This record gives sequence, structure tokens and C-alpha cells, in this order.
Amino acid sequence: MGSDDSYNFVFKVVLIGESGVGKSNLLSRFTKNEFAHDSRTTIGVEFSTRTVRIDNLTIKAQIWDTAGLERYRAITSAYYRGAVGALLVYDISKHLTYESAERWLKELYDHADPHIVVMLVGNKSDLENLRTVPTDEARDFAEKKGLMFMETSALGSTNVEAAFSEVLTAIHTKVASREVTRGSISAVTLSSPIGPSSEAQEERKGCCRS
Amino acid sequence: MHRSRFDSGLSTSSLTLAVPARRLFFFSSSYATMDKMENGLRSVDTGSIRTLSSSHIDDESSLGSDSEINGFASERQTDKYGFIGGAQKYSEDTAQDIPTAVLRQREVKWLDMLSHWDKWMIKRFNKVRLRCQKGIPPALRGRAWLYLSGGKVKREQNQGKFQELDSQPGDPKWVDVIEKDLHRQFPFHEMFVSRGGHGQQDLFRVLKAYTLYRPEEGYCQAQAPIAAVLLMHMPAEDAFWGLVQICEKYLPGYYSPGLEAIQLDGEILFALLRRVSPLAFRHLEKHKIDPILYMTEWFMCAFSRTLPWASVLRVWDMFLCDGVKIIFRVGLVLLKCMLGTREKLKACQGQYETMELLRAIEPRYMQEGFLVREILEVPVTARDVEREHHIQLKRWKKNRGELNFKPPPRMHGARIIMLAEPPRRQDLQQNPTIVLEVPQTTPQLQKGKEEKKSKKKKSMKKSQPTEEIPNPYPLPSDPQSSSSELPAPPPGNSVMPEAAAQTETDSVGEQKTPPTDLPSAKESTLQRSTQSLSSTEQDTYL
Repeated sequence: MGSDDSYNFVFKVVLIGESGVGKSNLLSRFTKNEFAHDSRTTIGVEFSTRTVRIDNLTIKAQIWDTAGLERYRAITSAYYRGAVGALLVYDISKHLTYESAERWLKELYDHADPHIVVMLVGNKSDLENLRTVPTDEARDFAEKKGLMFMETSALGSTNVEAAFSEVLTAIHTKVASREVTRGSISAVTLSSPIGPSSEAQEERKGCCRS
Repeated sequence: MHRSRFDSGLSTSSLTLAVPARRLFFFSSSYATMDKMENGLRSVDTGSIRTLSSSHIDDESSLGSDSEINGFASERQTDKYGFIGGAQKYSEDTAQDIPTAVLRQREVKWLDMLSHWDKWMIKRFNKVRLRCQKGIPPALRGRAWLYLSGGKVKREQNQGKFQELDSQPGDPKWVDVIEKDLHRQFPFHEMFVSRGGHGQQDLFRVLKAYTLYRPEEGYCQAQAPIAAVLLMHMPAEDAFWGLVQICEKYLPGYYSPGLEAIQLDGEILFALLRRVSPLAFRHLEKHKIDPILYMTEWFMCAFSRTLPWASVLRVWDMFLCDGVKIIFRVGLVLLKCMLGTREKLKACQGQYETMELLRAIEPRYMQEGFLVREILEVPVTARDVEREHHIQLKRWKKNRGELNFKPPPRMHGARIIMLAEPPRRQDLQQNPTIVLEVPQTTPQLQKGKEEKKSKKKKSMKKSQPTEEIPNPYPLPSDPQSSSSELPAPPPGNSVMPEAAAQTETDSVGEQKTPPTDLPSAKESTLQRSTQSLSSTEQDTYL
């Protein structure tokens, strides 16, 4: 299964957003430190993992990626199942992709856990001279909707780590603080945790339950 | 197989030095690397590939020539299918090599079939099927696909239609989405590697034309790989009609809004799996792995993004002959191979691990010879598919209500497609663009003749061995051949070389007079070739 065998949590995070905004490259940048100008269009589902440490805990982030084109939304309920975090990505140089954020949020809340942690991500920040979405405007929108916010560049590697880390930390905070009742965020523990959390121990089932 | 997590590939500086700036388009702070896994193989070449931005269309070149300038020739080897750097295949030595003599024989047989297509399809379809299963000879694959799919007939019955669609600007909404995708289809195939190159241009034309042809369907991203595969084998207009047939006859509803058909087929696949591999079935069921999580790309792209290229071609040969049941069989084989034994399942404890396994199919299971043999063994018929379709449709309606997008019924193969829309004789006429000199005696269009192999798609014409073969394209200074009269060209778009000014209209054999809307023979070459310039240039190594 890989070298990162011991981890305390598995967090499933989904990437959503219009076609071409850079979801697949955010995925590859974060999990493999790769970027491809000509990565293939995503058809179906892609995924990758990376293990990170947060607050002395080892967290395996399972990042899922799928096609952004409108009609693919019909097949995404399986995709959202068990997700505890989401990055809603738009392209800062294409205003239309930002305008559909509202629709994507609705989509998200229709299919995913109501307590899912969401970050609005303005990608392609390297295209500053082609910007059509002002940072402040997007930040305000995110605040209003209770979303986290960051601008990234998968190409330049800017803020990609930060974005994922922040989301994962926020998820962990929610789980650890038991802000939610046990059943509603199905974060999975696979081994006895190093930290306290007796609840997490009880949930131990030995396999992924996404 | 293992690559360090932070593989950096080639540094940017080494590339900057080697290449003239105007030809390159790159970002100073990053590098491009090859996409992760292409078709089961992590590419041996872990270096970078630059995207070429063709500001000079005439300067557009396949990556090969540029890389030779840069001295990266060995890393940029193009394989015989046009793929660069080892993408989309397993390895050289597992490719099935057909002896040339056998290939020639098969070509003769295929040419014969194509010349009498309706007879073969109606009366001897089993033979056609058998030959498809053996693999269509590369030189004729494009043409055979066009005939099998019924695209040829569609084209003949809709002359001028593609040109009409091609000339329209298209719905900006679709145009925008399509353009975003052009450089994301088979980016490591030399035909599509250049931004704005002929391959991408043709891909655009075909996809845009479809959105105009079927505005209620519009564009679905998975259509692009389908169109690209077709374009690797035939010119844009033909590829367009091939795409139409696949979208409407073979896989109706796959690309429609709502993607209901693909979801249904996912359920059908899963249901069929129960019989083919109960172990795999139970495992997927236990871990609640929705079919849509693994079969979407397989089916929507007809495995063109999953299998090594040699296998893709074999699968498509059979798929276009026998319909979607082939696609189901491939899926079942892969599932059975990867999840069909207890031992394999032991390594696969959860949903995620299972999906990872299905995403990285072991190359030996995708190898051409193995795969084809397995496909032929799967006990799933078109009837089985239809029966299960009926069952799953009932379930769907019960759980989710009526379908929003009711596609037309699926056609299970080339023969059924032809019977549903019987062609006129002239629809099946082949139209070679190069006519070889034929002596005065009536050419026989039957077996037992030699032919020259040609790389041009529509240029085969049988000729008898003669002592002297006059030069069909003599220069004004060349001595004229002894036979001053050249035989009548077949009808349609055949072309006489300029030097031979006589154009006969008497027919040979069963040919008819050319349609009146075609330009005169002399001009038609030039017109034809500018229209399909890219496609003849893109004639691949098939």
C-alpha cells in the first residue's frame, strides 16, 4: 500500500470547479509535485494521496478529482460520498468560472456532508496580467458564504501546499473538537491514535469507508 | 516503476539554451512533465516535454524535428503509432508482429471485401467478423472503420453537409469548451502535440461540426478522444461521420446531457460481472464501489485512454464490427483479471485500494494477444446486454423516475447498422485519388491480383502486372507512354494527372457516371488536397 503505512486519519477531499480551471494540476502538484501544460482532460474520476503531519498526527489526504463539464455533475454523487473537505476551484483569468461558484456550492451541499470544509481557490495566480477576478471580491464572497479562501498557482507551485494544509487542518479541528456529532463526518481512523480522541478509537474498522 | 515523489525532470536552464526562443513557449519558474501514467505505463522518459506554440502555422512541426535540433532525439522517439516517448504502450517486444507476407494477404482480402461490401456484410458477415478479430491491416484500417461504422454511407448520403457545418462559426459556448480541450487529447501523440497544429485544428473542426449537427447534444469531453482516434486514421470529414455513427448507433446517449446511458451501462457491467467473476463482483459490492468510479473513462473513451495502443486498435476493430458488447467484454476481462482471485483481493482492503488497483491494470492483462483471446472467451452476447439493460432500466425508473434523455436504441454492430439503413450501391463506392495505370484489358476486381501497397487512404486500385507501367505523372519533357489513351477513371473523385488531358466517361465494370456536383477531374485533386491537407499529411504509420 505504500511507504506511509501508519496514519491516524484518512481525509477525503474533493476538487470541484469548471472545466479547465486547473483541478487536475492542483492534484498533481500537491500529491506528486508535478505540473503538465498538457495534462489530459479528466474523464471519470482521478485520485491521489499524500500523507501530511498536522499537530503531531499523521493524516493521509485522499484527493479526488473529476471532470468539470456541466453534464458530468450527473454522475458525481458517488464522488462526493464520504468527502470531508472540498476545494472549489476557479480560474482568476476567467470570470465565468468564478461566477459558477454559487452553482457549485449548491451542488456540493446537495450531495456532500453538510459539515464539509470548503475552500474557495482562485487558481492560475501566475496569470496576474490576465486577471478578471479581483482578490478582494472573491475573498468577500468566501467570507459571506463561510468558506476559506486562497489564491494559488499550480504552475508556479504558489500556495498549493498552504491551501491543502489549511483545509486539512480545518477538517482535523472539526473532527477533534467534536463540533459535529460522530456520524456526520465520517473521517476514518485506521490505527489507534497517538492523541486523545477516544471516539476515534471506537471508529476503528480497519478499512476505508469512504 | 517507482518515481520519487518530487521528481524534478530536466531543469529549465538546459532547455532554454538549446532552443530558439521564438519556437518555445515556457514559464520561467516551472517545467512541464509528462502526465502520470499513460495507459498502464509510467513512462520511461521522465524528462520534460515542451508544448510548442505554433505562432507560425507553417512552421509547425512534430516534436520530433525540434527535439532533434535540441539533441533530445533518443528521448523523443516516436513509435509506429505516432506516440512520443513511450506513451501509450507497454513494450516493444509484446507487440504482435505479423509477417509482411501475411499482412499483404490480409490486405488483398480486405480490399476485396471493401469492393463488395454489401455482399460481404449481408451474406458473409461471419467472415468479416473473423477478419476484424484478427486485426485489420494497418494500411486499410481507416477505410475499414469508415465502412464498418456506416460512416462511409453517411458521408455519401450527405455530401456537402460537413463542409456546411465546417463553415459555420459554431455556438460560442461550445467553441470555448472545445478549444480548452484541444491540447488535452493525446498530448503525447505527434499529431496532437502542437498547439494550433493540423491535428488540433481538425479535432476542433470535427467536434464543432458535431455540436452544430446535434445542437441538443452539444459537446461532451469524452467525444474528443473518440474523434482523435478516428482522426489518426482518416481525414476530418470521415472522422466526423465516424463520430456521428459511434455517438448515435454504437453508444447512443453516452455523451448526452445527464450521462444517463453511461450510468446504466455501469449497472449492466456490474450485473454481468456477477456471472463472469463472482469474486470480483462480491468484492465491489462489499466495498460499495460504484461502477461509475471505474468504468466511466473505460467506456466513454472506448478504452482508448486505458490500453496500450496496439490493444486499442484491436479492440476498436472488433468494437466497430460487433458493437458495445466488445466494450463490456473488455471491462469484464480487466475486472476479472485484477480482482478475480482471492490472492489479489487480499492486497485490496478497501475502496480506495481497489480503485487504485483498477486504475493501474497490470500490463500483461492489457497486452494485445492476451486481451483479444480473453475477449473472445467472455460469454456475453448482445442479447445478454440487452436483457440486462431492460432489467436495469426498470430498476432505474423505479428508483429515479423516467429518463430525461431517451436515446435511440443501441445497434449492436456493423451489420445491424447497415440493415437498418441499407445503402445505395453508389454509397459504397470507393474513390481512389490516385489511379494507377491499367492496361486496355478490363481490370478484374477479384482476388488473385497483385497490388502495390500505398500509404494513401483512398488510393488503392488494383492493377495487373504489366511489362511497362506508364508514368501517370509525366513531366512535359518526358516522352509520352505508348498508350496514349488512359482508361476511364472510376466515378466520383478520382483524379487524372494533368498531363493526361483526356477524361473518359465510359465506365469500366459496374461503375456509374460521376455525380454532377463534383468539380472536373483536373481540378479536383487540388481542391481535395487543400481541404484535407492536414489529413493526408497526417497519414500515420498504420
